[in-house]
Amino acid sequence: MADIITVKDLVLVYSDGTKAVDNISFNVQEGEFFGFLGPNGAGKSTTIKILTTLLRKTSGKATVAGFDLDNDASSIRKIMGVQSQETTVDGDLTGRENLELQGHFYQMPTNEIKKRVNELLKLVGLESAAERRARNYSGGMKKRLDLATAIIHKPKLLFLDEPTTGLDPQSRAAIWAYLEQLNKMEGITIFLTTQYLEEANKLCKRLAIIDSGKIAVSGSPDELKKQVGADSIRIGLENCERDRSKAKEIIKSMTGVTDIKDAEECILVYAQNAASLIADIVRALDSTDIRLTSVTFSQPSLDDVFIKYTGKRIRVEESVKAPSGMFGGRR
Amino acid sequence: MFIRSLKKLIRNPILLFFSLFQPILFLALFTQLLSRLGSFPGILPDHVAYLEFAAAGILLQNAFGSALQSGNSIVADIDSGFLSKMLVTPMSRSAILLGRLSSDAFRVVIQTAIILGLAYALGAAENTPFYVTTGVVGILGIFFTLAFFGLAWSGISLALGMKTRSAETVFAIGGVITFPLLFLSPSLLPINFLPSWVQTVSMFNPVSYAVNASRAFMITGYDWGTILPAWGVIALVAVITLSATLYQFRKVVS
Repeated sequence: MADIITVKDLVLVYSDGTKAVDNISFNVQEGEFFGFLGPNGAGKSTTIKILTTLLRKTSGKATVAGFDLDNDASSIRKIMGVQSQETTVDGDLTGRENLELQGHFYQMPTNEIKKRVNELLKLVGLESAAERRARNYSGGMKKRLDLATAIIHKPKLLFLDEPTTGLDPQSRAAIWAYLEQLNKMEGITIFLTTQYLEEANKLCKRLAIIDSGKIAVSGSPDELKKQVGADSIRIGLENCERDRSKAKEIIKSMTGVTDIKDAEECILVYAQNAASLIADIVRALDSTDIRLTSVTFSQPSLDDVFIKYTGKRIRVEESVKAPSGMFGGRR
Repeated sequence: MFIRSLKKLIRNPILLFFSLFQPILFLALFTQLLSRLGSFPGILPDHVAYLEFAAAGILLQNAFGSALQSGNSIVADIDSGFLSKMLVTPMSRSAILLGRLSSDAFRVVIQTAIILGLAYALGAAENTPFYVTTGVVGILGIFFTLAFFGLAWSGISLALGMKTRSAETVFAIGGVITFPLLFLSPSLLPINFLPSWVQTVSMFNPVSYAVNASRAFMITGYDWGTILPAWGVIALVAVITLSATLYQFRKVVS
């Protein structure tokens, strides 16, 4: 697959001297769902503003769909859709009028606009509210309308700057569903920024963690989690004193185990794929009359990734629970 | 863009009402205050009621008012992110500005028509007939003069709005500019009735030219010696203010 966005050594220094984007490089492939994850002020929005031709970069090189940002801004504008962080629907106009206006911005023919508007109203579930003024919409409805305006011209590439910030969980889930649909069904490349780990984890096939204007690390959510470390299994034994060394001996020989430590419960095992290992451990220990009292396992979360690379939690109240294994529990 | 502004205006009739409120108040009350002026010989031109005389000044005042709101609306578009939303589309940059300006001009014309209509009605009620000497073509001339004038001043409020990004500042500075310019001109009183220093100042006041031109259309007829220089002065102001607007707009856009 070809790259639809290429960014090399991108720097943006604001006129007050703030270095908002500090020498970042990354590529996004066509059809990809790519995410920028980072806390407020990390440089996510600034990067989007540069790529969407709103801000002029200080230095570096960037192309979007093969067009150079500096020389071919107007070609880029034709093929991309943008949803900014602020919800920008015109409250004085109805939902339908907002969409039609946007169609005119893209110089689409009137009959095509009409058709597309009906399609989009259906897609984002605003058919019944189409003739009402957007001022009276709920926050979630406005976001959905805003999203619809961003894709009126069937863009190849969609930029979303924190598309679900400030939304309730249901609205957020609805937006996620639309985005996955757009990416899968219509093959639109999506570049998204978010400060929600859960969102990045669920949607993005590949992501970059950005902090203080720099890319700390990038990869697929799973790759990133693997880099942080292996899964862990905590094993409690009925008679820990007596059986610990024997149990450790047995587990150590199993494939995939990377490390074994003593822990509060008794034994802590690090392994590559804990989920499939658990059954083996239980079976092996059971056959030697070592009695188990508990087994819990957990996987590293993006939260762990974030902490490892930036040294801080992203937003405590938004931190995501790791997907729990069959025995439940969490480190 | 033009259509959007108009739709917004129709959706918010209250906005139109408020911007018309002050001129109408002046038209209805201020003219009453000075309605006896006509009975002193030599102050107003012969056979001209004060209402008819002041109408031109009130039209100017109205054009000022709506021009100032133009700056507010661009501030609102910048704040809400709507301007950015337009800028990421391939629509031409000049269309954004031209749409705004043309809707401003259109709005001034509508308001001017309302005020003229009202003046006519008031004149009939007061038995001091109000009519435009030059007829329909003259009314078009008035529309043109005021729309042109409105554009020139929209330029100031747009430039201020984009520079300061604050609607309050636009209003504050706008108010400070508007009233001295109106009072230091023959907008509401005949020139020979004003103190001599005001007469001197008013010669350098672009508002004086615009008001005299409108008045010519209403009262004296096609006095090209007044109208053409007025258009020239307005054009000069427009070039200056719209260049400032363009300069600020370029800064906002890039």
